[in-house]
Formats: sequence, C-alpha cells, structure tokens
Amino acid sequence: MSAIKRLSGPSRIDPFLVPFRHYPAAIAGLVGICVFTLAAILAPLIAPQNPFDQGQLDIMNGLLPPMSEMMDGSVSLLGTDAVGRDILSAVLYGMRTSLLVAIVAVSIGMVVGVVLGLVAVMRGGWVDAVIMRAVDLTVSFPGVLLALMLLAVFGSGVDKVILALAIGIWAQNARMVRAVGLSEMKKDYIAAARIGGLGDLRIMFHFLLPNAISPVLVLMPMAISGAIVAEATLSFLGVGVPITEPSLGLLISNGNDYLLSGRWWISVVPGLVLVLMVLSINVVADRLRDHANPYLQARG
Amino acid sequence: MINFVLRRLGQSAILLVIMSLLVFVGMYVVSDPVAVMAGEDATAADRAALAAAYGLDQPLPVQYLTFLANIVQGDFGTSFVYGRPVLDLIFERLPATLEVVFLAMVLGLAFGIPMGIFSGLNRRKPATRLISMITTIGYSIPNFWQALLFILVFAVWLRVLPATGRGPTTDFLGLQLSLFNAEGLRYMLLPAANLAVALICMQTRLARSGTQEVMYQDYMMFARAKGIAPRRLIGRHLLRNILIPIVTITALELGTLIAFSTVTETVFSWPGIGKLLLDSIYRSDRPVVVAYMILITLMFVLINLAADIIYAVLDPRIRYS
Amino acid sequence: MLLTIDRLSIAYELADGRELEAIKDFSLTLERGRIAGIVGQSGAGKSTIGKAVLGLLGENARISGGRILLEGEDIAGFSERQFGAIRGKRVGYIYQNPMTALNPVLSIGEQLIETIETHTDKRGTAARSYAVELLTGAEVSHPEERLTKYPHQLSGGLCQRIVFAIAIAAQPDLIIADEPTTALDVTVQKAVLGTLKRLAAQENIAIVLITHDMGVVSQMCDEVYVLLRGQLVERGPTMQIITAPQERYTQELMAAIPSVEQRRARFDVLDAFEETPGRQRGIDYLRAGTVALAHGDTMLAISNLSKTFTGEKGGAGFKALDSVGFAVRRGETFGIVGESGSGKSTIGRAILGLVHPDPGAIIALDGHPIGQENRQALSRKLQCIFQDPYASLNPRMDAGTNITYGIRAAGLVPRKHAQRLAEDLLEVVGLPRAAATKMPHAFSGGERQRIGIARALAYRPGLIFCDEPTSALDVTVQAEILNLMKELQDSLGLTLVFVSHDLAVVRQMCDSVIVMRAGRIVEEGPAEQVLTEPADPYTRQLLSAMPRFLRSAAAS
Repeated sequence: MSAIKRLSGPSRIDPFLVPFRHYPAAIAGLVGICVFTLAAILAPLIAPQNPFDQGQLDIMNGLLPPMSEMMDGSVSLLGTDAVGRDILSAVLYGMRTSLLVAIVAVSIGMVVGVVLGLVAVMRGGWVDAVIMRAVDLTVSFPGVLLALMLLAVFGSGVDKVILALAIGIWAQNARMVRAVGLSEMKKDYIAAARIGGLGDLRIMFHFLLPNAISPVLVLMPMAISGAIVAEATLSFLGVGVPITEPSLGLLISNGNDYLLSGRWWISVVPGLVLVLMVLSINVVADRLRDHANPYLQARG
Repeated sequence: MINFVLRRLGQSAILLVIMSLLVFVGMYVVSDPVAVMAGEDATAADRAALAAAYGLDQPLPVQYLTFLANIVQGDFGTSFVYGRPVLDLIFERLPATLEVVFLAMVLGLAFGIPMGIFSGLNRRKPATRLISMITTIGYSIPNFWQALLFILVFAVWLRVLPATGRGPTTDFLGLQLSLFNAEGLRYMLLPAANLAVALICMQTRLARSGTQEVMYQDYMMFARAKGIAPRRLIGRHLLRNILIPIVTITALELGTLIAFSTVTETVFSWPGIGKLLLDSIYRSDRPVVVAYMILITLMFVLINLAADIIYAVLDPRIRYS
Repeated sequence: MLLTIDRLSIAYELADGRELEAIKDFSLTLERGRIAGIVGQSGAGKSTIGKAVLGLLGENARISGGRILLEGEDIAGFSERQFGAIRGKRVGYIYQNPMTALNPVLSIGEQLIETIETHTDKRGTAARSYAVELLTGAEVSHPEERLTKYPHQLSGGLCQRIVFAIAIAAQPDLIIADEPTTALDVTVQKAVLGTLKRLAAQENIAIVLITHDMGVVSQMCDEVYVLLRGQLVERGPTMQIITAPQERYTQELMAAIPSVEQRRARFDVLDAFEETPGRQRGIDYLRAGTVALAHGDTMLAISNLSKTFTGEKGGAGFKALDSVGFAVRRGETFGIVGESGSGKSTIGRAILGLVHPDPGAIIALDGHPIGQENRQALSRKLQCIFQDPYASLNPRMDAGTNITYGIRAAGLVPRKHAQRLAEDLLEVVGLPRAAATKMPHAFSGGERQRIGIARALAYRPGLIFCDEPTSALDVTVQAEILNLMKELQDSLGLTLVFVSHDLAVVRQMCDSVIVMRAGRIVEEGPAEQVLTEPADPYTRQLLSAMPRFLRSAAAS
C-alpha cells in the first residue's frame, strides 16, 4: 500500500518522539529517565548530606524512620540507616554508581561487539569462526552468572564489575550485528559498492555499519536496564561494587538485615528507586522495540 | 543428525577444556594459593612445604595437566571449609536446586504461554493491556528485591508462608525432595515463585511476539481461507509454529533459572548449589568454586545441545548434517 | 448470478486515525464456470477485493460501502463465524506465493486432509484416498509420497498444485486466485495455469483471477476488469480489452507490454524528458568519458567460464556454470536469457568479481584479462544495474550521495562538484534535481531504479551489466525504464549486457542473445533469429510457454 505511506507523509513531530505518540506510559518512562539521570548527575548539589563524608555522619541519627528530625534539626525525608546516613542522600549517590556502571559497561560491550560483529561479516572464514566461537562460549552463560564467576575469580571493584558486565554484553551485540550484517551483505547496494571499487573499511563503516546497527540501538535501553539490574544483583550478593561506592544494590543489601525487624525503609527505599528507574527504562525500551517491529505496525 | 550431535559434543569438549584452562589460570595463577592457604605469618619453609604438598612447585603446564587429569577422574579436590570431597557436597545440594527450578519452570510455562497467546491474538482488549503492564513491571523488579518483598509480605506481614530454609523432605528415587511433601512444598513456594516471575514475563512476551508474527504469515491467512475451525487454527497451525522458539528458549531458560537460583537461594537460605557457590566465594573455598564452574559449564553445554536437538526435531526445515 | 460485487468500497484506517479509501465503487458480476480477471498494477487494490470476498481483510480495513452478493446473499457484513461457512466450502482461495501459503511445519498430508475433514464427511482412510485423488487431479506426481512431505521439500510449482487441490477439496462454486503464478518460472506457469483452467472447467467452478500480467489474462479469462488506484477503469470481454481498449489508461497499459513478435524503437508511454542545462551538462560529462571507439569491435570476451558451488562437506558441488563462452561487441546490447537457476545471474557476478569462477576461466575486457586485483580501475569500465530496486541503494545515504559516493572515493570527482554532478545525472535519468537530497525510502521502485542507473553511469563505464533491471517493476514503469536505457545507449554509445527471464523484454532490447539452461548455453545468435526461428527445442519450449499476448494474433 504505497498510497498509504505517501498519505501519512511528513509530520511536524520530532522524529525521535514519533514512537511515543499516543503512549502515555512510554512518555512517563521518558520523563522518569530524565528525572533519574538529572538527579544522579546533580546528586552532590541536591543531596542533603554527602553520605561518604564520615564527618557528616552521626551515629545518634541511626535508624531514624522517614520524616524524622535529625540531631541538627533538619528533617530526614526518607529516614536514616544504622550509621546515621541519610537514605535520600545515599540513594542519590547510589544512583550515580548504578547508572555509571551500567552505561559504561553497555557502551564498552556495544562498541566491542559491533566492531567484532562487523569484522566477522567482512572477513568471514576463520576470523568469523573464531569470533563466533568466542560469542557462543560467552552467551552460553547467563550474564549474571558469568559476571559472578568472573568476579569470584578476579575479585570485586567498580572497574571489574564494569568489565564483567561488558563481557556478557559484547557477545550479544556481536551476534546481532553479524546476523543483520550477513543479510545486508547479500543486498545489492553492497555489491554496487564492491563493483565501485570501494575498500573494505569504507564498506564496513559507511555501508554496513549504518544499516546493521539499528537493532543494537533499539535494544540498548534494554541492555542498560539489564546491566543496572545485574550490577545491583552482584552488589547485593556482595561481589559487586565496594562499600566505599555503594550502588543501589549494595544499599538494599545493607538494609536487608533490618528488614525483618520492621525498619523497612533502609532496604525498601533504594529498592523502590531501583525498580522505578528500571521500569522507566523498560517501558521506553518496549515501546522502541515494538515500534521497530514491523509485525506490530499498522498494515495496509 | 548423529553426526551433528557428535560434532557438537566434540566442540563441547573443546569448550570445557578452554573453560578449565580459564578457571585454572584465574584461580591458580592470578592469585597465589600458597599465600592464601599459608596465611601471613608463615615462613618460607612452610610455604615450600605447602607448595610441594599440593604440587604447586611443579611447572605450570604440569600443574594444569594434573588438575585436568584429576577432574576427568571426577576428583575436584576437597573443600577447605567442609573438609569433604567437593563433588559430594555439590551432588548433595543439587536436588534442592533442581526441584525449585522445576517448579518455577512449570509455573512459568503454565502461566506464560496462555497469557502470551491471548495477548497476541487480542491486541486491543483491556486484558491484554493489563497483561502487558504486569509483565513489564514483573520484568523490571530485580529478582533479589522481589524475594525480599515476598518475605516481607508473606512471611513478616501475612505470616502465611515460612520465610527461609527448606522444609521436610521425602525420599524419591534416592533423592531428598520437598516436592511430594505438603509442609516441604510450603517452604518451596516462595523461592519457586520468585524464580518463576521473570520466567512468566519472559514466556508471555515470547508467546505474544511469536503469535503476532505467525498470525501475519501467509500460511495463517491461507489456513483461514481454507475454512478450518478457529480451534484448529490456533491449536495446531499457530501453536505448532510458536512452540518451536518457545521450547528452544525454554531449554535455554533452564540455564538462566539455575543461574538466578544463586540469588534466590541466598535470600531464602535454600540449601542448594547456588547458595553453596556464594558461601564458598565468601569463604574463599576455591575447590568448590572451581568445581561449580566446571560442572555448570558442562551443564550449560548439555542444555544448549539439547535445545539445538529439540529445535531440529520440532522444525522439519532444520536438518543438521 | 453466482457472485455480484456492487459498488464496493473498502477503507483502511491509518495509524493517525485518518481513513484511506483503497477501493472505491467497484462492481463485478460473475456467472458459474466463468473466469473474470482483475488487472492492475501494484497498489491498485486487486488483492483487497479478493480478500473482501473471503472476509480476510485485516483488522484495520473495513467495508465502507456496497454489497458482495454470493448467490444473492449479501456477505459484506458477515461475522467471522458466518464466513467460516463460506471459506473453503463455497469459496476457495489460491494464494500468490505457494511456498509461503503452506504451513512450513505441518506435512502436506495434514494440511490437505484437515481441509477435507473440515468440509466433507470423509474420515481416516477415506479422507486419505480422497486426498490422493485430489492431488492426482491437480497433476501432482507420486501423490501418495507427497502427503508425507513438508512444503520446503517441494518445488514452487508442486506447492501451487497442492494449493489447488486444497482449494477445490470441498468442490466450491468459486475460487479467488490471487496472482497464482507470479512466483513461478514461465514454463511452470503455463502448465500450472493449464491445470487450473482444466480443474475449473471440470468442476464448473468460477474463478476471480487477480493478476498484473496481461499474458495470464489472455490465456485464462473470459472477462477483464481493469483497476487503477482502487477504481474500475474499464471492463469488457478479454479480447475487446486487449485489442480495442477504450480508456486512456488501458491503452497505455497495453502499449507498455513488450511483445516478442516484433521489436519497436520505443514504448508508447508518456515519458518525454525536459531538456535542461543540467541534463545537457550531465550528458556532456558522460560523453566525455566514453572514448570514441569503433562500434563492432569485441569488447568483452569470455571463454571457459565455469562455476561450481561447493556443497555440504563431501557432497558433490553444484555446477552453476559449465564452460560458458561468448563475446560482446562494442555498442550492442547482449541478452542472456534463462529461467531461475539457469546460471544467467552467476555470469554477471563472475564478470563483476562478486564470485570467483573456477580456474581456467578467461574474462577479457578490451583484450585485457581481468583479475581480482585492480577492482578500482575496473570500476570505471564495468558497472551494474540491479534487479531489486529496494535493495540496490544504501538506505542510509541520500540519493545524491548514493550516486557519487564511489566516484568521490576514487577521486574521479572533487568533493565540491559532486553535488552538482549528482543533480545533473538525476536529470539525465529523468528525475528532478531536488531528488538528490532525499533518502531512498522516499522513492518508488521505478525512481530508485533510475537512481541506480545514474550511479552506474557516474563512473562513465563502457559496459553496463543489467541484471533483470525491470523484473521487479510494474509494466508501465518497466516501459519507461527500458525507454530510458535505449535513449541513453543511443546518446552515449553504451554497451549493455542484459540479463532477463522475459523473452519479450529481451526481444525489445537486445541485438544478440544467448539462451541458458542449467549452466550451459543452449542457443546463441542474433536476437531476432533466436526469438523468431529458434533452433533449440528448449528455446522453442520457452517461447511457446510464454503467456502470449494475443494482440497481433487477434488483429490478424
């Protein structure tokens, strides 16, 4: 139905926002992402205290429920933990760590995966075989377990968590790019580029890359939320980030011991923030994915 | 087909060797086991004696081959913490993990597939929106936090289910299982449900996207045009097609469930291999960690192979040569 | 009257809530045992009408007006359940692509027998033997054995015969046949259509035949309905529509159809070029590149070209080309004809360096053997126009960049002149200058093909390899593109190697021709001779299988 396409023509909405039209949940998710990201970036400016500055902590403020008055007269909106740390501040700083780890891990995994996937497509033969066997090896393990085992071997730390997560992510991206790339390679515009005498690098980056990368980009929000959850899980289990840079997962784990004694806020507040953050990203990610799926678009 | 299986088994063997090499390098080279075992105030002579006792004074390739030879003979060494053969420890705890995973799998399939097919077929119904909302939320709650909420709600507030631990077991074919014991099942319900939530969401999405995709295929329209009853259209033409990815991915999901059982078991203090792994990591009980990694690799290799075989059996278009 | 469609309108709901009338006031009448053809080009809405009769419109489409009377009963407003009593039982359906119409994971037997069990009271062995009977009727060889097979194990022609068997299982009064042979080779097509016509006559079944192919219409139909953008343009007996079309659109449609009987200088369609300074500049650029050499010299010489595709491990390879040799003279259009799998495209891929031929092959351009090493130099002598316009342009580059990216990378044109050159070349191929900044998805198939031609021309090659350049296009668009290619050849002295499965197109375009079958050349010679007095039995078979467009026969 080419007539329909022509009719629906140009619209005045920013093309980036098109997938979100008529989807209030996705718009809410988009807003959520902006709020959480801003809060994480601005944490030092908006947090009532620096939760890592021992000088600002007072054990007398320990285990206060939300809306309590602290020793210095200020009100702790979301309560405090055992050492008197303001939960709101801890959560704001925790989000920084969580987001940073996830975004860096996904970026590294994406770049490495996409480049190796493209190389596999372009070179073929044994290069392809070696890359793909490495991919098979990696993807045969669920990401969290792989990271858990790597951290068990190499010890924990922010850099190691990032690396451990990236190792799980590159393989998926490489596999995806290779699959799309192989089908693109069969198309005539690549043949035209070859007949035109273009070099492999030009074909790889100007022809293959722009056409093979969209599924990776579409799934990137999902990868980020997955990495946030994975990092939180690892930190919750005590093999993730160190206690000096607590992420949301570690905060939840710290509060875990007080959960059964009725001091729920220590664990539940960072948990809720984590869930809302992941939910915002997932709602947006779902919309993007559905939008990219031809089977879900209106058909003529 | 037999050739394919043999070739895959060969590849798997290579994979296992590579994995053992990585584990060996990681565990025995990156950090010095003698230093770990001997402690800080050991003398040089003590260290040398320890090294000789464990064969750590041998050249690395020799050490690796010894390590490999022992594994092949089923000797994964002795736990530092429990002082017992590692393999015994693992096999003792395996049934507890497998039964929870099994129950979660049953829940996942029983809820996920019908919900997914329903939402795939009825894109515009309110119930579909509800299902989609529930799966998105379920998907977004990290497994471990969900476990905490379950304990908070069902054990602390409502007091209807036990919070942690494994209940009484009964003997079934030589395995100690809680599955056939009402009280044991009560203990199992929360861990299994915890594992099942993500699986249900996953299966729902899978069945939904599969349904939507298949419903648009030419052969579905042609089957409708033939006039066959809707029941047969859904029950045979649709199901037979979406079952292929579902069954294949379900086999792979088994691996994911085993992986996430480490989290679930830790939160619910469920005495399975996942909890054993984490306890061993905390206590630097290296032989257990190494054995777990090698065995879990073997398990994943077999699961992947099984998934490929199931795929070929279900899809007449695939014939491995 | 068996089927009466009375001023039927069908509207599609668009994503933004607006509605598009895909079919407007369409009427048709059909008596038992007759065959009516609905003809139109892609996007005309032909299939929509067929689906409406079976209640198979998508959920975003609705009948916005008119009636569909089946034996006097209006079925336009039927529910899904009510249609259940019609589908398969009273109205059968034959789908365009037989390979995708059958469920890939169910056996042929199951798919046939479930239809039988739905509509008849035959069960078990009775149903099975009826299935065999149906397959035999549809001229399926070894029917017993086929029942246990899966669709991917059978050829397209066989699958379509099985679809026929399914469609007539319940002895319906009417069959909707939606492009039943479009996916098939010409020799298969003729036999399959023959079977369909015989089955219909035998069972006294009426057929609504939906097609874009006037050849199929002239072979099959009693009456023709010509559709343009959802509206009926003209209706009448087949012979009258073909020989004496009344409406302007039908006349153009007929004029655009290539004939195998006689060669014409150009197709009589509206496609005059506006002579602009830009177009002239483009032509000058192209002329300056082609060195004036005497026409008639051998330009491309190929000998002993073989290509074996290695099969699965240890398995025997598949010989796509077997010792092929021919020579192309400067300035001519050289045709390569064959059915799918004949190896005709592989020749091109070997010449263009996209596949490596078996050792021993010699491909010489202007007397110099070409190897794999100097692709960049070769790109200025040899270019290609591709079959699928939707895959031949880089979707992430605008039209202008698509045209000049290669020559810019090779340093043939400075960056600052590239844009103007792209615009000039777009005018040469009959597109506006403004097209240069649009992305490929904004263009129709024919427009994309023009951009592809401009890209090939930009290198100023002496030889252009044309791989089925019009087989994915509507017939009027095909005529425009073929006219363009002829015009360019005349003004630039291009040499063309033209691959096609369509003998009529080859007749219109080519000076000499080779006929390929299973990797070998079975016949070669001047196009006129090969296509009018074929010496080889296979060429004769191809010619006789062509759905003959009866205008000349009727006129005589």
